[in-house]
Amino acid sequence: MAISVKVMRRPEAGRTSYMRATLKGMSLTFKHMVRPTKVTLEYPEEQPDLHPRWRGTHRMEVHADGRPKCVACGLCPTVCPANCIRLVGGEDDQGNRYPIVYEIDEFRCIFCGMCQEVCPVEAIHVGRHFENAEYTRDRFVYDLDRLMEQDHPTTLLWDPSDPRSE
Amino acid sequence: MPDSGRKANTVTLTIDGQEVTVPKGTSLLHAAETLGTEVPHYCYHPGLTAPAQCRICLVEVEGAPKLQPSCVTMAQDGQVVHTESPAAKRMRQGVLEFYLVNHPLDCPICDMSGECKLQDYVFDEGREKGRGREPKRVFGRDDFGGDVLYYGDRCVMCTRCVRFMDEVARDSRLTVVDRGSRAVIDTFFDRGLEGASFAGNVVDICPVGALVSKDFLHKARAWDLDHTQSVCPNCSQGCNIELHTRDNLVQRLRPRENQEVNGHWMCDYGRANYEWMNRPGRLEEPAAGRGAKRRAVDWKRVLEHLFVQLREGSGAEVKVVGSASASNEALAGLAAVGGAAGDVSSRVFRSRRAADEVPLPGFPSLVRRRDLAPNVDGAGLLGFERTGDDGGGGGLEDLAGHDGVLVVLGDELADQGEDFGAGASLYVYLGTFDSPAARNADFVLPVTTFAEEEGSFVNAQGRVQRYWQGMQAPGSARPAWLVLGALAAVLGGDGTPASAEDVFAGLVAAHPAFAGLTYDALGDQGAALQKEAAHG
Repeated sequence: MAISVKVMRRPEAGRTSYMRATLKGMSLTFKHMVRPTKVTLEYPEEQPDLHPRWRGTHRMEVHADGRPKCVACGLCPTVCPANCIRLVGGEDDQGNRYPIVYEIDEFRCIFCGMCQEVCPVEAIHVGRHFENAEYTRDRFVYDLDRLMEQDHPTTLLWDPSDPRSE
Repeated sequence: MPDSGRKANTVTLTIDGQEVTVPKGTSLLHAAETLGTEVPHYCYHPGLTAPAQCRICLVEVEGAPKLQPSCVTMAQDGQVVHTESPAAKRMRQGVLEFYLVNHPLDCPICDMSGECKLQDYVFDEGREKGRGREPKRVFGRDDFGGDVLYYGDRCVMCTRCVRFMDEVARDSRLTVVDRGSRAVIDTFFDRGLEGASFAGNVVDICPVGALVSKDFLHKARAWDLDHTQSVCPNCSQGCNIELHTRDNLVQRLRPRENQEVNGHWMCDYGRANYEWMNRPGRLEEPAAGRGAKRRAVDWKRVLEHLFVQLREGSGAEVKVVGSASASNEALAGLAAVGGAAGDVSSRVFRSRRAADEVPLPGFPSLVRRRDLAPNVDGAGLLGFERTGDDGGGGGLEDLAGHDGVLVVLGDELADQGEDFGAGASLYVYLGTFDSPAARNADFVLPVTTFAEEEGSFVNAQGRVQRYWQGMQAPGSARPAWLVLGALAAVLGGDGTPASAEDVFAGLVAAHPAFAGLTYDALGDQGAALQKEAAHG
């Protein structure tokens, strides 16, 4: 069975004017010159407005005296589906349970936010933050000091006025 | 009427609509357990008396005016019991709410979290939200001495610890002080639990996080630990234990029930001695050559060379050093290899001996024995003789300069010098750690510790007990029974054993003392050797 071929009928050469199409295009151009609608962002001078539930790299909340809020309960390494949190608990000089080692491998992290959700003392948070560039790969394993230094806003995993989304 | 003449010693009752027949004198709690129903309980512990004071095991018994404590109510014929009736559930929820009036919600920092009975029961049946508005009373924590810390806030006053010290340890060092919500467990004056030999058990039996181990404090979470059935290697009592491991490191030892050996208990000495299982710096690769000529060689070649040398030297006088920490399987393999290599003139082992025994008065069959190694009796049955002093040293004078074949298994030869075995025609060292005295060894073969292999020990009661592998061996270390079994197989012409079970079967065939035993028969509770053989 032969393949059917549709033959396009085109105007003969020399009998076509492109003027109309050109004017149509130019009118759009001039319209944008006079009344521009911008879709790009002048980053880094302008910063994007991240969604309240944006989940970026982590941050550890601290007490007023500079201690981490973490009590080394072990729930975040347990719940973490990517197994990216390493935690060794211990006791500080005031007898409080605290993390001797707390490391998050941000490369392994899938930013699900479950660590923040499970945390009983609201210590670990995912952040509304996306500028994570580093010169070396090993800088992406954030230790406790690094996590405590981070100062970007934290993610709002749920609306506090409507915690059950009702 | 077949039963009419004599009194039946079983009773049949109905629990939650299911009929169950249990021996007379069984409590409702145990009867429910046989059906797979766990009735919540705190104060009741199978190894202790039941005061029925925690009030959480109350169940509904038809015909009884009030709910009955199932831990002390004995099953009777025709009883109809409901553990899940609305009345029983409402009671439990109420009791749990009272417990939570003062129990802090500090599960995130509590060591018991994950294995806590209060946590479990409240999660199952408790109220979703607490109604308490008053502040909770705060006691802080108290150092009881020994390995035990007491967090008074978390205590539910089940008094298991007090009863353990009174009834089982028979060393009344704990008591309840004060009354009502101010009640706490305390020690007498400054005496504490320091120096008590079985006090670690109060941490195990505490249903909540009130009594915790200082050694385990904040170290690991309960749900992270892998549990492996094992046998305590720290004395010849052979208490049944569980190895709790995490990241290939032993984190703690816990007793496992075996009414013939240790009941529910174990001693503090055994409990505390586990760090050696995690000791780094192990022998990892097999090596051949004396002194400076030593080179790492892979297992296949090292065994071939060793086999050739054993065969060349066959007929020589063989002296064998075993270890009371090695399994029956390894020792039987060692004896077989020695026998195949020539005339064995001495088979010895050394082990440390404590000055005296430490019995547990309330459970007489549990004694911290003098021999501080798990398989002294097994080594004796397999033809090894004790040598050396009570410190585990000495006794190898005639071996150090021996000029025949020398095989050493599992003894680190810590007190021997670098010239040990210098004159031996062939010196084979199988061990977990390198040693100066292994310098002259022609072959150094890395073997596993008991935690990294499967095997069996014979305890001081003449009971053969299995243990299981709980950790990965470092490098290419192999179980001693596998190495020796392969050699013995080549020398003796039998097939290489595929498992510890095969080696044990061969051992049973060769040694009448073990007659009739198989790994299946040992199970996880072990089995006794035949009496006359064990001491004959």
